[in-house]
Amino acid sequence: MIELIPHILNGLTLGLLFALIALGFTLIVGVMEVINLAHGALFALGAYFAMTTIGGGWFGSSAFGVWWGDLPIATRYAIGVVVGPFLAAFAGMVLELCLRPTYGKPQLYGLLLTFGAALVIEELIRLAWGTGEQSLTVPRAINGAFFMGGLIFSTYKFFAAGFAILAIGLVWLFLERTPYGATIKAGAHDSEMVRALGYDLSKLRLLVFGFGAALAALAGVVMAPIWGLRPHIGVDVIIPAFLIIVMGGVGSFWGAVIAAILVGLSVGITGAYAPAWSMLSMYLLLIAILGFRARGLLGRKSALEN
Amino acid sequence: MRMITLSDIPARGGSPMTPAFGLFMVALATAPFWLPAVGLYQYLGIEVAIWLIFALGFNLLFGYIGLHSFGHGAYLGIGAYAFGLFQQEVTVSLWGGLLAAILAASFAAAIVGVFLSHRRGIYYALMTIGFGQIFWFSAIKLHGITGGEDGLLGIPRPDFVLGPIRFSLADNVSLYWFVAGILAIVTVVLWRLVNAPFGRVLQAIRQNETRARFVGYDVWLIKWLTFTLSAGFAGLAGGLFSMAQEGAYPDVMSLHQSGLIVMMVLVGGGLVSFWGPVLGVILYFVARDIIGGITETWLLWFGLMFMLMVMTRPEGLAGLIHVIRLRLGNVPAQVSAPGIAASRKEA
Repeated sequence: MIELIPHILNGLTLGLLFALIALGFTLIVGVMEVINLAHGALFALGAYFAMTTIGGGWFGSSAFGVWWGDLPIATRYAIGVVVGPFLAAFAGMVLELCLRPTYGKPQLYGLLLTFGAALVIEELIRLAWGTGEQSLTVPRAINGAFFMGGLIFSTYKFFAAGFAILAIGLVWLFLERTPYGATIKAGAHDSEMVRALGYDLSKLRLLVFGFGAALAALAGVVMAPIWGLRPHIGVDVIIPAFLIIVMGGVGSFWGAVIAAILVGLSVGITGAYAPAWSMLSMYLLLIAILGFRARGLLGRKSALEN
Repeated sequence: MRMITLSDIPARGGSPMTPAFGLFMVALATAPFWLPAVGLYQYLGIEVAIWLIFALGFNLLFGYIGLHSFGHGAYLGIGAYAFGLFQQEVTVSLWGGLLAAILAASFAAAIVGVFLSHRRGIYYALMTIGFGQIFWFSAIKLHGITGGEDGLLGIPRPDFVLGPIRFSLADNVSLYWFVAGILAIVTVVLWRLVNAPFGRVLQAIRQNETRARFVGYDVWLIKWLTFTLSAGFAGLAGGLFSMAQEGAYPDVMSLHQSGLIVMMVLVGGGLVSFWGPVLGVILYFVARDIIGGITETWLLWFGLMFMLMVMTRPEGLAGLIHVIRLRLGNVPAQVSAPGIAASRKEA
């Protein structure tokens, strides 16, 4: 039993990170009813931007001089964590502008457009950063490992889990306790009524897409030191995000969080017994859950079913 | 502008004697003669023909009944593995291998279809992705059977044997004739199928599933059957693919590949026309070879082209051609369907 503890903790960490990935995804699905297949590509894009910022690629070798590279790694990391999501949010907003002609048409077109966008972003990443695997440097303070009760834990994973909990909490506060959140939720529930009340829906959608992309990128920045960075990492990320929002119920905040933790735990625990097959457990979990509840754990009836 | 759907382009009583059909058959029969002349190569003809079988079968599900499968590459892959395993483990036989490919893919789809057939819309798409990923994942992990990431290598190309006729398919020209022959049969079969009452039922389900059920059709059964059938065609294409490649790899089962077939069918206009997938597949492979010859990042340009297409003309090339013909007033006499009348007025 004691040997299982690291696997359960690993699974929990993974689940929290999955939740972070799925939140931006479920937000966009909930408000705009667009399945954003480019979510994984935005995740990768944000992580690559952060990597370059932290590594000093843009500043160290440019007109800004060498002072950027001389900054302490912790400072550069903190700036990278902000810059990556910020630039990804910008990319997300551009994508939203491209999506506009598909509103009011079957959801398939939004899905297809974002599939094309995912291809384009992935190719752009290849063009800009090359095809090889790269890594994101983290400050020494959150790197390494520590022992506890005879078991070894990764410090970074604890940091990542804490970061994810904080981010999820802030997103929840934003959605539940601010007027912006109320507008976004109202937009998800009844977009025509929101428009009738005089809110600018197109601005709202732009912001929601930017916010969702920033969340994806934030997840990317936190995840990159664990998973490594490859141009096609977006595909590996989009699948769990997908499964999670479907399991949790499309558009449901807590559904996504619960499903993400379930997925993380199932991957972590099966990892103890059959490491090669652990990723398969999430698909089986999906089929099991959907077999009993077609709309997912906390899902309600939505327009996406038609 | 109002969007066009499949039902706006009326069927013509099931006769294969249409200009498009004739053109298709002529192109198919003459490809080996002009392919090298326009700077292309024989193998491309085989590849296009195989993907056409896959795409035309897929459109039965995607365009006609309107179920958006995003995991169809899995059935192509299963067909490819079944063909290879049959050659390596059972006996070297062309027909046996192809039959095994069709049966294996249909069987897998028949089981998956049980889970899928009462789903609709996005949930359908998501479930197909889930199952597609399971097959892809299994193909990578079952080293003992599939060879893992490396795939099955050295799959032979068996001789063509039909009664007293026997010839080798080892070179690409003869393989092309064989694949083109299969494609011609598949096209005729599918054409008859979609223009038969069955095809109308598929379209009825796409337009309004509830109404189709109330009219008395067993919607669940038809959805299940269509899924299984289209997977059977995918399996056939997969068998031919592993023959052409002389190997079977997990790559074709990935989400990426499954997305590409959706992309090809949609760009061509599979939603509005039987011939849409044909245009889409040809455009994809020609773009790959022509843009790919100029730049390494051809997928970037194809992706941008695709995005532009979805934004401006989501009905694809076939829809574009239809709109142009409507504008020119060059539309053959047809039963006045309400949809057509409306789009005429707007056009």
